[in-house]
Formats: sequence, structure tokens, C-alpha cells
Amino acid sequence: MTNNPNQQTPPPSPVTISQTKDPSTLDVSVGPQHPGSGHVRLLIRVDGDYIVNIDPDIGYVHRGCEKIAEYRTAVSNIPHLERPCIIDAIHLNWAYVKPIEELQKIVVPPRGEYISTIMAEMNRIMSHLYWLAINAGVFSGHTTIFMYAFGDRDLFIELAEMLTGARLTYSFIPPGGPRRDLPTGFVERLTKLLDYFEGRLVEYDRIFFSNPLIIARAKGIGVLKREEAIKLGIVGPNLRASGVKYDVRRVEPYGAYKDLEFNIPTFQEGDSYARFLVRFHEMKESIKIIRQALEKIPKGPIARKAPLIIPEGEATGRVESSRGELTYMVMGDNSDKPYRVKIMNGSFRSLIALPYLLRNVHIADMPIIYGSLDYWPVEADR
Amino acid sequence: MIQTSPREQTIVDTLKSRFPDAIKETRVEGKHRVLIEFEKERFIEIAKFLRDEGFDHVKGITGVDFPTKKIIEVLYYVGSYSKTDLEDLLLMLKTSLPRDKPIIASATPVWESAHFHERETFEMFGVKFEGHPDLRKLLTLDNWEGPPPMLKDIKFPEMSQR
Repeated sequence: MTNNPNQQTPPPSPVTISQTKDPSTLDVSVGPQHPGSGHVRLLIRVDGDYIVNIDPDIGYVHRGCEKIAEYRTAVSNIPHLERPCIIDAIHLNWAYVKPIEELQKIVVPPRGEYISTIMAEMNRIMSHLYWLAINAGVFSGHTTIFMYAFGDRDLFIELAEMLTGARLTYSFIPPGGPRRDLPTGFVERLTKLLDYFEGRLVEYDRIFFSNPLIIARAKGIGVLKREEAIKLGIVGPNLRASGVKYDVRRVEPYGAYKDLEFNIPTFQEGDSYARFLVRFHEMKESIKIIRQALEKIPKGPIARKAPLIIPEGEATGRVESSRGELTYMVMGDNSDKPYRVKIMNGSFRSLIALPYLLRNVHIADMPIIYGSLDYWPVEADR
Repeated sequence: MIQTSPREQTIVDTLKSRFPDAIKETRVEGKHRVLIEFEKERFIEIAKFLRDEGFDHVKGITGVDFPTKKIIEVLYYVGSYSKTDLEDLLLMLKTSLPRDKPIIASATPVWESAHFHERETFEMFGVKFEGHPDLRKLLTLDNWEGPPPMLKDIKFPEMSQR
């Protein structure tokens, strides 16, 4: 067994676990009990302390969202199609509505686009805080950051509730534009929260991201090189940690993003620590985006009335969700129900990275690598 | 009338001149979408050509079942990370397979990112991807013995709205 696990050449086929087994190895099932972010089973083959092969067995939380969508009307699909990733509900909602609006030829008023953008960026912060608490904090044994991040996440959840009426599953954007305008006092409270949260990020940096223990645990672990990330079609923060500056908010601006200035945090290392840092810096960028949006938000109507029928044809809509590029394809047939809905999300596309990264690594590094990918099993299984 | 930019038109034109009998229809839909319908026999050649042009990864693969037309459409969503002038494009490749014998060559030798997407499409629509290294069930229960569940004639009345 080599001592330098990250210099291995990738295997020819990423997944297949061979049936012929070296007698010195042992097959271990990790999961499907909740490893912190949902139900997933990783069938790993270990040789002593090293993982030599892995077969991700997913589907424990598959509920046939795409099939159910064919039985429900365009609008009543929203509450269950945002369920796969409840901590990132607004993006799943928005990406589903965009192709329907395109088919119905409806243009959302600018104020509506701004409100959706503000809500989406708040959701990105909430989702990254959840990741920081569970996937980064708990998986690396850092309980303080778990408490801190979960506490601060609740402040954003309260504001989301003030705006949408729900804490997590908002169903906020039906076709035509968001359901509610900014309530009285919301802007003041959000501004105050952003000022507070900016100070908290400094604290997070001090106790977690600059913590020598975290750096020692995460740096150089689970390296995904740029060429590999491109070849495997990795998305979102994981892709940007491998040096590809790709963000749907920039390549295909939607909502209010074309009017707003923001950076796309990109790192070259491709290791778990780089993936940690991308999300940390994205939270800073989200603060910047929300502040600009609150400043520039125009007056006027927030939504237009949309028909209940989905016209014939197919359309795709995509957004940059917290887990990367999220694409919905909606096919209509002039009825109130979609003929076909297809979800292409970040978690399912991150799955192929698991066999690459969790090979020839210590068993003890598995939680860090898995956590750094921010893989959300429910979103992947749909 | 959609304004077509020269970039998308160039891609479509080169594809058409390179594979005149395999490309059935092309459509430039808006600023970021190109749809290409092709004959399944020359899929691997088309895929290799597109990969060498810079379309380096698959974003998703899916099927759509049309029982009345007796076909299953297979859709590939392809994009580019390595070429910045192509990165905003979403290339949609579409082909139809006969419903009783849906077989097509696997894209995994060309695009490794197709691996799990093909497994899902195989499971949900019964499309066989020839040459896939590990074509087996992915999402449904281990004891699911029924036909591919996303086909239109497989009905789940309990999913209807109450």
C-alpha cells in the first residue's frame, strides 16, 4: 500500500467494485443510517486502514418526484419539487418555475426578480451554514462551529419566515413572480442581521477556517484536479475549488444578477480545504449581493398573473443553487399538468466524485472528504 | 423570431456539414440553448466530435416516453467548462429509440460524466446503453421487480391529487 494516497492514477472505471476479491480485504457497509446529511450507503472495500474501492449505493430516499410531477398541476408541483433539498428550497422552486414561465412567455417584473434574488442569496447563506455546521463541523469533530453556525442560521430562517411565511419550505415563487412583497421592517432587520453576520464570519474564520487543526485535517486531502473535475462534470463550489470559474449566475445571468457586482471565489488546490474555503467566501459574496440588491431594488409590481396551462413544448431553466448548477427541464402538452419534468441537480452530479476521491485514502479521512462535497442524498435521489 | 448569434450557427453548420445524413434537425432556441436531433447509429462519432470541439461534460441524460408515437426520446444535456466562449451554452442532443427495443451506444467512453445518468435512464426507462461498464439499478428498491417506472403506461393512481 502506498503512503501517498493522492498521487494515485484514477481507475479506468470509476464505480464497479470487482467481484473477485483479494482475501486480505474486507467489505464494509457505511450507512444507510444517517451519516449527517441524509441516507446514503457507501459500500467500501478496505485493506487495513485504507479504502481500496467504493461503490455508492444511493436511492434510500428516492420518492419519484419526477413521476409525481406528472400527476399534479403546474402550481401544486411546487411544494413537493422543492422538497428534495429543503435547506435550499428557493433554488429548486425557482429553477422549476423558470422553464414554465418561458413556455408561457411571461416576463417577471424587475421588483419580483430582485425579491427572488434576495431570498435566494439568504437561502445560500442558510444552506452553507447548515453545511458548515454538519458536514464540516460535526464531521471533523468541531462542535463549537456546529453550535455557532446553527444558531446564526436560525436568525436567517426567522427573516425568511417573515418574508415568506415558512421557515424552510417556502413555495415562494409560483410562475409569474414571488408571492409577497418585502414586509414592513424587513429591510431594516435584514441590514442589521448582515452587519452582525459579517462580524460572525470573522469569528468563524478564527475558530474554524484558520484553525491549525482543521487545516491539518483538510489540507491536501481528497484532491480533485482541474482536468478530473471537468471530465467528471462536477458542479458548483466543488468545481470552483478545483480551479474552474464557472457559475450560472455569471454565464447565464438570471434574476437580478446582471445588475449586481460580485466575485466568484475560485481556488486551484482542489482539496477538501479549498472546498471549505469556497463556501466560506461565497457567504461573504452573498452578503455583498443582498446589500446591493436592497439598495437597487426598483419600485413597481412584483408579479404577473400566469395562466394555469403549460403550453406545448419543452424548456430548460437553470440556476446556481447552493450545490451548483441546477437545471429543470419541463415539457408541456397544453394541459395543466406537465408531461415530463426532469431535475438535474448538483448532488447527483457530485456522486461520481465519491469513487474518485474515496480511493486509497484512510478510513478516517472519509468523513472530511464526504463532508467537503456537500452531497445531499435526498436531492440526489429525488 | 429568435435572433441567432453566429457562434451557435457555426456549431450547427459544422455539425451538419460533417454528418449530413445523421443530423435530422437543429434549432437555436434563445441565447443559450441549441437543440440537435440526430440518428442514433452515429451517436458516438457525433459525441466525439463535440467533445473535441470543447463540450467536455454531460449535465444530464434523460428519457421521455411517447407511447402513442411508440418511441422513447433520449436527451443528452452537454456543456463546456474548459472553453470560456462556450460555457454558457446548453447543448441538447436528442434521438428517438423504438419503444419495444430501446438500445443506444453508451456515452461513457466519450464522456465519463455520463456514468450515473445512464444508469438512471436505464433504470427509469429501460434504455440499454451498450458498452456501459456497470449498467445496473440505482435508485429504486432492491425488490422492485416491475417494469421501468417512468414509462407512461406504468401508473401510480395513489400519486394523484386528492
